Amino acid sequence: MDAASGRTLALPEDASAHGHRIDALLATNHRLEGLLALVVLGWLALAVWRFHKARRAAADGGTRRSRTLVLALALVTFGVVDGTLFVRSLGYVDEVLWNFEVPVKHPDTVRLEVNARQWTWEARYAGEDGRFGTADDVVTWSDVRVPVGVPVWVQLSSTDVVHGLALPNFRVKLDAVPGRVNQTWFQAAREGTWEVACYQHCGTSHYKMRGTLTVMAPEAYRAWLREASRQATRAYDAADSAAHWGWAWKEAP
Amino acid sequence: MKALLSTDHKVVARAYLWAGLGFLGVGGLMAMLIRWQWGWPGRPVPGLGWALPESGGALTPPAYTGLFTMHGLVMVFFAITPLLIGALGHFVIPLAVGARGMAFPRLSAWSFRVFAAGGALVLVSFGVRLGTASAGWTSYPPLSAAHVFTPGVGQTLVMVGVVCAAVSSFLGAVNFVVTVVRCRAPGMGWGRLPLTVWGLFFTSVLNLLFVPVVAVATGLVLMDRVVGTRFFMAGAAVTGGGGDPLLYQHLFWMFGHPEVYILILPAWGMVGDFVAFFSRKRAHGYRGTVVAMGAVTGLSGLVYAHHLFTSGMAPMMGRAFMTLTLIISLPAMVMFLNWLMTVWRGSVRLTVPMVAALGTMVVFGLGGLSGLALGAVATDIPLHGTMWVVGHFHLTMAAASFLAVFAGLYFWFPKMFGRHLHTGLAMGHVVSSAVLFVAVFGGQLMAGYAGQLRRLYDPYQYTFLKHLLSLNQWTSVAAFALGSAQLLFVVNLVWTLRRGRVAEANPWQVGTLEWTCAPSPPPEDNYAEVPEVLRGPHELSQPEVYERLGRDWIGQAEALPEESKASTPEAQPALGGAG
Ligand SMILES: [Cu+2]
Repeated sequence: MDAASGRTLALPEDASAHGHRIDALLATNHRLEGLLALVVLGWLALAVWRFHKARRAAADGGTRRSRTLVLALALVTFGVVDGTLFVRSLGYVDEVLWNFEVPVKHPDTVRLEVNARQWTWEARYAGEDGRFGTADDVVTWSDVRVPVGVPVWVQLSSTDVVHGLALPNFRVKLDAVPGRVNQTWFQAAREGTWEVACYQHCGTSHYKMRGTLTVMAPEAYRAWLREASRQATRAYDAADSAAHWGWAWKEAP
Repeated sequence: MKALLSTDHKVVARAYLWAGLGFLGVGGLMAMLIRWQWGWPGRPVPGLGWALPESGGALTPPAYTGLFTMHGLVMVFFAITPLLIGALGHFVIPLAVGARGMAFPRLSAWSFRVFAAGGALVLVSFGVRLGTASAGWTSYPPLSAAHVFTPGVGQTLVMVGVVCAAVSSFLGAVNFVVTVVRCRAPGMGWGRLPLTVWGLFFTSVLNLLFVPVVAVATGLVLMDRVVGTRFFMAGAAVTGGGGDPLLYQHLFWMFGHPEVYILILPAWGMVGDFVAFFSRKRAHGYRGTVVAMGAVTGLSGLVYAHHLFTSGMAPMMGRAFMTLTLIISLPAMVMFLNWLMTVWRGSVRLTVPMVAALGTMVVFGLGGLSGLALGAVATDIPLHGTMWVVGHFHLTMAAASFLAVFAGLYFWFPKMFGRHLHTGLAMGHVVSSAVLFVAVFGGQLMAGYAGQLRRLYDPYQYTFLKHLLSLNQWTSVAAFALGSAQLLFVVNLVWTLRRGRVAEANPWQVGTLEWTCAPSPPPEDNYAEVPEVLRGPHELSQPEVYERLGRDWIGQAEALPEESKASTPEAQPALGGAG
């Protein structure tokens, strides 16, 4: 176990090009929350200690001034803590998470269809011809491969129950819902092998719905896809209906 | 049996109390088993050989899925709800508003009967072939809706049980709302209601609005499951086309999110009252607190879709629900600060209910803070579906409402049974529970931050979670300690009911109607004479009361010696908004 993944109080190691923005926001947020917890609980402890069995209690339910103070304190806290969270989260959402311009415009974007099934992740690549639903489509089981440094555009569905695609090291989570194609994208920042997890309870073996995500050098990825595509064409069986779960690639949402 | 026949709200309340405590024990034992599995996966559970002979007492994946499903369902629908609302609500509301009983006494009895029927179905489900429900407490279809995914009659029985619990909550809510609106004693204006009553009132409003939604959603799943409709079964391999599984998620969370407030509003109300009572002063910003609780109630249904940030929702919806979700933290902060200001400049008495209320504040505060990151889309993504979520909602829904249940129980026990629980045992119970809650659910927050997904039978299947084993073991040890600490309460209860000290008339020296106008326990009609309410619920440490009565409290319906003379028409305006 390497040092980075061994730290209990840390997020899973970040291997994506954009995840650091979420991580930084979480770190800021936790510092603010920690500070707030200290102040509030410290104040509570101080109040209990200082006024324990005090001889005289105030006879009123607060003055106009003390009530204004409460409202002002609440508004300031809300503005600072919720405000940073809101603004920076909105920035991430607009520029990364829900901004499909990036994968749409990038010339080397990798398109990937993922079908979740009890209890495996089926991944489909368009193959050499660049079109889905043809004989050279490459299909893998719980073994996803992507090149480093380019956007990976994922379209996701499910054949049976609701699953949840999680790439913890890429800050990606998306439900796989039967009858719908959900979309997301991410970009790997470095090569390596990471884990694909299911985060929605999907039956008894839910905990075993584990896959691997291998981030490869672009040349190695191209070579792998070419070879896999050739083999797929050779092994193609038009009568095998279970193998034809793919869909025509959808527009960006 | 008497409980099933009686229409006296106090008898119904006690029936809910015993049933709720029983289910709390069942749900708690299931939690211990889940914690065992995360600490020592696949290892036989000591003493469980009789239940799982094939595996020698080790939890199997099917047994485990049944456990976490039923732990959630039992705790939400059959433990916290009946304890907070069924028991404390039924007991306190009529007494606190000065009524002779509930508005519809027979409806009270029916709400308990329907609840008991649901509870019986749940208990039966553990004994059927293929076991109890296993689709998670959220029961997402198609998993919950098709026999191929959740075979056996257990899932069906439990979902019928949930519908029963929902119907029971709805009946109770009708009764509470009408009782508070129509049956208040003369002079009991809205501004004189104890905050507990306000909390229970808002909870009942939410139950009226949103419980039918969950009943419908569950009913439709049952139809998919039993009759073969396809409301929620689109594109699933087993069925072909038809409905939409996501529709269920919207319906479920439209109830499921307000449910969080349904379970916490009565707790907030009690905290508001108890910090005032035991700081010996009026609640700071009473009206602000009530408005804040009302604002949370009003917003509660508008934030539900933050549970669906990762469901593939339209970006426009994501932005809208993020905004609304963060806004709801503002009234919560106002309320919290008002509690703090109530303690400030008070004369703090650390009685058991007060310590439990302070503990509620601490765990609720931590729970609320840990929820902020789940309210914003970007930070929700790494934490969604992890133990962070579990830790967060257990701090707010489990720890806070549990401590509030016990605050309320320790407070009203003398009124319910005429006896005092042992203070030392009670204090040990409350303090150790509060500390251990923070340890257990804090451990869950840490595991979730490090990425541990919830509900995994064996989290260590994933290499990136392997290093969390020792953290999980420590958390489990804390959980077992927490479970054991509950024995303090059980011992106290048994001992007190047999030979506890007989309670004095007004042990807490507060002015609310139940303590100042009725004996303990109150007779069938509560009040020999319906009290006429003259003042608010927290009239403590008032100088003129000191002066004339020589004590720091005065009953809500008690006239000051001179006041009776002075209550001539020209003196009325000085009392202010009497109702
Ligand atoms: Cu899955």
